[in-house]
Amino acid sequence: MDKFHIVVCIKVVPKPEEIAVDKETMLLIRDGVRSEINPPDMNAIEMALKLKDKYGGKISILSMGPPFFADYLRVPLAMGADHIYLMSDRNFGGADTLATTYTLAEGIRKIGDVDMVICGEESSDGATGQVPAGLAEWLGINQLTQMDEVDIDLRGKVARGKREIAGGHISLEVPFPVVVSAKTASNEPRFMDYTIKPWAFEEGRITVWGAEDVEVEDDHIGLPGSPTIVSGLEQAPERARKRQFLEGSPEEIADQLGKILVQAL
Amino acid sequence: MPQNRTIVDDNTWEELIELTHGAAAVCFQCGVCTASCPWGLVKEETLSVRSYMRSAQLGLQKNGNDNLWLCTTCAQCEAYCPRDVNIADVFRGLRYLTWKQNQPHEGLPTLLWSVYWNNNPWEQPPSQRTQWAKNLNLPIFDSQQHDILYYVGCTASYDTRAQKVAHAVVALLNAAGVSFGTLGEDEPCSGEEVLSVGHKHYFREMAEDATKAFQEAGVTQLVTTDPHSYDAFKNHYQGAIKPKHYTQYFAELLEEGKLKFSQSLDRPITFHDPCYLSRHNGEIEAPRKLLNAIPGVDLVEMPNIAEDTLCCGGGGGRMWLETEAGERFSDLRVEEALTTGAQILATSCPYCIACLEDSVKARVIKDLVVMDVAEIAALAI
Repeated sequence: MDKFHIVVCIKVVPKPEEIAVDKETMLLIRDGVRSEINPPDMNAIEMALKLKDKYGGKISILSMGPPFFADYLRVPLAMGADHIYLMSDRNFGGADTLATTYTLAEGIRKIGDVDMVICGEESSDGATGQVPAGLAEWLGINQLTQMDEVDIDLRGKVARGKREIAGGHISLEVPFPVVVSAKTASNEPRFMDYTIKPWAFEEGRITVWGAEDVEVEDDHIGLPGSPTIVSGLEQAPERARKRQFLEGSPEEIADQLGKILVQAL
Repeated sequence: MPQNRTIVDDNTWEELIELTHGAAAVCFQCGVCTASCPWGLVKEETLSVRSYMRSAQLGLQKNGNDNLWLCTTCAQCEAYCPRDVNIADVFRGLRYLTWKQNQPHEGLPTLLWSVYWNNNPWEQPPSQRTQWAKNLNLPIFDSQQHDILYYVGCTASYDTRAQKVAHAVVALLNAAGVSFGTLGEDEPCSGEEVLSVGHKHYFREMAEDATKAFQEAGVTQLVTTDPHSYDAFKNHYQGAIKPKHYTQYFAELLEEGKLKFSQSLDRPITFHDPCYLSRHNGEIEAPRKLLNAIPGVDLVEMPNIAEDTLCCGGGGGRMWLETEAGERFSDLRVEEALTTGAQILATSCPYCIACLEDSVKARVIKDLVVMDVAEIAALAI
């Protein structure tokens, strides 16, 4: 086979503490807030880079969002990804997970020759966790969700994944192509490689596709393609912490703490 | 061919020379560095500083050797080195190579990402950088109006213990009638922790960005809470910023008669010199001047002071790595403080406070409190 090709789907999200919602539109307010790459997506990027370290191949990064995402997409490029694709069009805006996965799936088709798609487990803003499975459905391919580890067998053309569960783990094996979701905090994302970073931030190319550049049905994208209705949003009330300071030697404190925890069970 | 041969790599050698300005070249392998390293006080087999100097001379890198991350960059070895080798910088250079090969110590990439996304190493929201001062109404620095910029720093901005030091510094600035401002949420991280874990290229980028931010704000003189940021600005920012540690600034105000202590504090106090104030920057007098100017203070010195100070264990990125119980220098330091009969163990660095206070708590020492010089001085105004 040609080079093993991984597409990592990532999202730029407002920093959690700065999230605010427009009460009228029920959409996130993005203006004037600091953003970051969705933290679970950093685990997806690292999962892909580990496979590239081991087997070679190439990594494409795919995202859908406004033009300002481009600056953030240079980060994975500096970490070792090869190509960056941004699907950016006003008509893509307001998409729920159905329209998002449809649009991203069409992007993946256009990128072409993809063996594996890796996503973060969920986004820190939407937190539905539906995108990896949705992508696999639109693409009609296998899925390995909430993976702690993934390995590939290039000869047998299968991906093997491990999902930790209480008391053990589940091992799964599926043929390529496959959509994988990386469990949050399953690895420590490497920092940017400063031998690549200047190129990534100054010269690295970002391919931007609008709605006309991909084969999408107008009624499947953006708001028209999104059947989800956010009917209400409420701020969870803050709970006062019942702080209690324990006194004594470390052994005594541990003993007291143990008793308190047992009582609370 | 022997299987375990080591190949000297010319490229690594050249890169190390560039990263460390050839610092290790003059080392003649006497081993005083290894003998003076404080790890020898707590470990059966100490950190072989000498062998790292040899590696640097030859362009060798010991892969998978976590000892590289033991160095607290305290520079005890530099104080004794007969060849004046900048040993801490050689360690930083060797550490950079591990970053380049994507083999840094576990946990440290997370530290750098925190600096990258949050502008602080503590994984705290950038929007909450000024929360510590929410009731103080501190003005944003204006070069037309203010004498100095108070550079609070990341640790004093976010760490609840160190915030008390920042409050004390503000109280002292106000008491001395100093007109000052801060950069609020836009205060840049100094990058000292990035430098200390050896990511020299990221640090250089941070230093350039921060210098630009300071210049745009019209900052020429700033006063820092912590000695690590002070050291970064003074010695690693290419001369663009003129920093003072707060102990130096307040010692000057004391001499000028602008700062006066009227309250008496009848307590024996001993002073722990932070490595980055004393050994790295030769500042030994300023904190002592402040303490001695407080009526009633009895300054009792420990055996290891000034350039012979014992590192607290928190420098060189060690604040982000675990140090096994029984191997903490700060345990030895609080025991040393107890021998003086002091009731207050004073210092002037947020990392030192964290390490020393941990040791006081873990050893259940009741009759010794750890305080910052600023906190003690603020009690006396």
